[in-house]
Amino acid sequence: MTEITISEEDFRKFREYFYRKTGIQFEASKRYFVDKRLVERIEATDSGHFRNYFMMLRFDAKGDELQTLVNLMTVNETYFFREEYQFQCLVNSMLGEIVRRKKDDSPIRIWSVPSSSGEEPYSIAIYLLEHWPGIEKWDVEIISSDIDTDIITRARRGHYSPRSVQHLPPRLLQKYFVPCVGGYQISDDLRDAVEFTRVNLMEAADVRAYRGFDVIFCRNLLIYYDDMSRRQAAETFFDALNPGGFICLGHSESMSRISSLFRVRKFPEAIVYQKPLGDL
Amino acid sequence: MPIIKQHTIQTVDVDERLQPRDFAGLTAELAADNSTARRWAARDLAEFPEAAGILVERLKREEDTSVREAILTTLARLGDPAAVAGLVECLRSEDASLRNEVIEAMKELPDEVAPIMSELLEDHDPDVRIFAVNILESLCHPQVEAWLISVIEKDAHVNVCATALDLLSEVGTLASRPALQQLKARFADEPYIGFTVDLAIKRIDEN
Amino acid sequence: MKRILVVDDAATVRLYHRNILEAAGYAVDEAVNGIEAMEKALQTPFDLYVVDINMPKLDGYGFLREIRSQEIAQPPAIMVSTEAESNDRHRAYRAGANIYLIKPVKPDGLLTYIRLLLAEERT
Repeated sequence: MTEITISEEDFRKFREYFYRKTGIQFEASKRYFVDKRLVERIEATDSGHFRNYFMMLRFDAKGDELQTLVNLMTVNETYFFREEYQFQCLVNSMLGEIVRRKKDDSPIRIWSVPSSSGEEPYSIAIYLLEHWPGIEKWDVEIISSDIDTDIITRARRGHYSPRSVQHLPPRLLQKYFVPCVGGYQISDDLRDAVEFTRVNLMEAADVRAYRGFDVIFCRNLLIYYDDMSRRQAAETFFDALNPGGFICLGHSESMSRISSLFRVRKFPEAIVYQKPLGDL
Repeated sequence: MPIIKQHTIQTVDVDERLQPRDFAGLTAELAADNSTARRWAARDLAEFPEAAGILVERLKREEDTSVREAILTTLARLGDPAAVAGLVECLRSEDASLRNEVIEAMKELPDEVAPIMSELLEDHDPDVRIFAVNILESLCHPQVEAWLISVIEKDAHVNVCATALDLLSEVGTLASRPALQQLKARFADEPYIGFTVDLAIKRIDEN
Repeated sequence: MKRILVVDDAATVRLYHRNILEAAGYAVDEAVNGIEAMEKALQTPFDLYVVDINMPKLDGYGFLREIRSQEIAQPPAIMVSTEAESNDRHRAYRAGANIYLIKPVKPDGLLTYIRLLLAEERT
């Protein structure tokens, strides 16, 4: 077998295409990393060389190969306080605006999807308790959903490895966790504070009941969806949000590849997306 | 602790789905004052194969982005000849954002759009021809390159050719090479064409 | 170094503009549509925008309207379009464009307007 090589123009062509589809931009310094993964996929798909592979990638109607590549090119790891700047944005900026707009004292509602094994919704709960003075006055509901029932069971149980909690300050680890075999378990108080549900974002019947949210965290999920599914998910979130409600996406995701339903909002801590206030 | 657990998810707010969910009811609701009601009507109409006509009529007048998106998603899901014909009609709209939304919806319908592609590429309106090339960008069809070659060989309008050329720089093969060279000669005083032809040929030759 | 944001859904157009602008001594960033342009323009300030009209998700008019409504420094914008009709021109100016150019753009023309808008000495 001859060695598969990626030429300079192949790399550029691929970089342009990947950027257009995902918003992820590889610097020239990433060349080695990108080439290596491309060669891996060219071999795995028996494409022989870049040209065939690129055509297959580009004209694959279902977008499966693109999703495989996204998986290879991104790190999808979940741990406590991942992308913490968004939680800072929540407590320092978004919640203040939400509270100012509220006409009654109904609870603030936050939806975290996918729940995965629970690190994100529990991080939100800890962040609110530790860093948001408004928690004295306002009730907050945190609902977290996933398509996978096994992982929901794990999230409810709340057992975590030392690696998963390594970004937590020791004080918080002590305050909200109990040491257990192989790691830590989240405290009963927090386990009781988050509601976990099973949801398939693509099922109209599943999502119809999700309404009246003020903030949605949907990080590192839509990037793995095809165009049509992304649009559908964006519509689901639009329906689930109150006017003026916010969506946070993962750091390598951009609404510019997903939907035009939301406005870009810049806060000091982060860029987030907002459902227009006008839609009442 | 003021983080409270909600044991049941809220039930659907009924007032945004006032009308009965049959075809007549949804048609009426599609003209409601409330944009949320219109959006829901547009989404629920996906269950009715005969809905394309009234959805297209609404689309032409609808000003709310969220309703337009719902209509376009439903039309893309219906995907029947009436839906496609309606989308083509909207390509001629004065409204730039509507046109762009329609292009995106048509990209979702490769099998339905392919049969009318040749016709679109020969439309008398150069803008429509440009939009047709835009749609080709994600049309998964074996003829894409052949269509693009015929555009750069024949189309008199520089911007229709430029749009096709942009795409050929990505998908062009040796088959495009002669047409690319001709194009460069035909628009010798357009630096963009020269630049992009050179790029496309470089990419082809590297393979 | 002055920073210019080039907004166009066509990769070769962005690259073409980038080459012209970088050769003239500007720093260039790119966006594929109006939403990405919003994200970038809100993130870091630019000295000028070069914006296409027809783009998916949020077109050039939409981008200019949105960015002009933000409380940030407002740099000049050049709108670039395939459409020669005069109502497009008016619409572009109404949305907040300073100059309207017809595609395909020639390097000298583009640079002349950029220098004019940035009030630079011609060299």
